[in-house]
Amino acid sequence: MPPIARIYVKTAFAYLIVAFALGALMLLDRWLTFSRWLRVLYFSQLHLLVVGWMSQLALGVAYWMFPRYRERPDPRGPDRLAWTAYGCLNIGLLLRFLCEPFYLMGPRPWLAALLALSGVLQAVAVTAFGVLIWGRIRPLR
Amino acid sequence: MPTTSRVFFKTAFAYLILGAILGMLFLIHRWLPLGDKLLTLRASHIPFLLIGWLTQFIMGGAWWLLPPLPSRPLPDDTRPERRGQHQRGSEPLFWTTFVLLNIGIWLQALFAPLYSWTHQETFRILDSLSGPFLVAAVLTFVLNVWARVRALGKG
Repeated sequence: MPPIARIYVKTAFAYLIVAFALGALMLLDRWLTFSRWLRVLYFSQLHLLVVGWMSQLALGVAYWMFPRYRERPDPRGPDRLAWTAYGCLNIGLLLRFLCEPFYLMGPRPWLAALLALSGVLQAVAVTAFGVLIWGRIRPLR
Repeated sequence: MPTTSRVFFKTAFAYLILGAILGMLFLIHRWLPLGDKLLTLRASHIPFLLIGWLTQFIMGGAWWLLPPLPSRPLPDDTRPERRGQHQRGSEPLFWTTFVLLNIGIWLQALFAPLYSWTHQETFRILDSLSGPFLVAAVLTFVLNVWARVRALGKG
C-alpha cells in the first residue's frame, strides 16, 4: 500500500473514532445534559462520518487498488494532485467542523464566509481526486 | 477491471462531484444567499452521496473483487463450465441493478425538489416511486453476488 493511500485510510479511521465518540456523547447528553454545544454538532458529526470516514476510506482504497499506469513514471498519477485532494478535503472538513457549531449558535458573516470556503475546498478536493483517478478506471493489463 | 465495474465507478465519482458541488452551494448560501429554492435540493444531495456515490462505489468494487463463482458448482453438474466473466455472476442482472439504482436516485433527486417548489401531486408520486426502484436495485445486486461471498480456492 503506497504512503498516500495509507494516510487517506489512517485519517479515515481517525474520523471514525472521533465521530463515534461525538455520537456517544450526543446520546449520553440526552440523559445527562452536558452541554448545549453537543446539540449543534449533529450536521458536523454526520459529515465527519460520510465525508471524513466513508468517502475518504473509499478514496484511499481506490488510489491503492485501481489499475496503475505501467508506462508512466508516476504509476498512480501525480502525487501532487493526490496530496492536493487530501489537503483540500481535510482542511475543508475541519473548517466546517470548527465553524458550523459557532455559526448555528450565532450567525456571523465571517463564519458564513469560512463555511462557504469549507464547501469550496471540499468540492475542489473531490474534483481533483476525480481527475486523478478517472484515467485509472480501465481494464487491467 | 471489468466494464461493468468501470461504469459503476465512473458513475459513482460523477455523483460524488455533483453531491459535493451541491453541498458547496448550500454552504455558500449561508454567506451569499442564492435563493430559497436552493435548500430543497438537499433532497438530491443526500441520495447523490449516500446511494449514487458510496453505495454504487461499493457495488462496483464488490463485483470486481469478490471471489469468482466456481467453474462447476457441483461435481455431477452437466451444465457447461463457467468461464471468465461468467464466474462473476449474471452480467445482465448487474446492468439491471445499475439501471434500477440510477432511475431510483434520479426520481428522488428530481421530483422531491420539484414537489417542494410546485406542490403538484404527480411529482410526489414520482418521488415516492424511487423507493421501489432502489429496493429492487439492492435485491438484484445481493442476489447476484450472494454466492460469491465464499472462501477462495474452492472450485
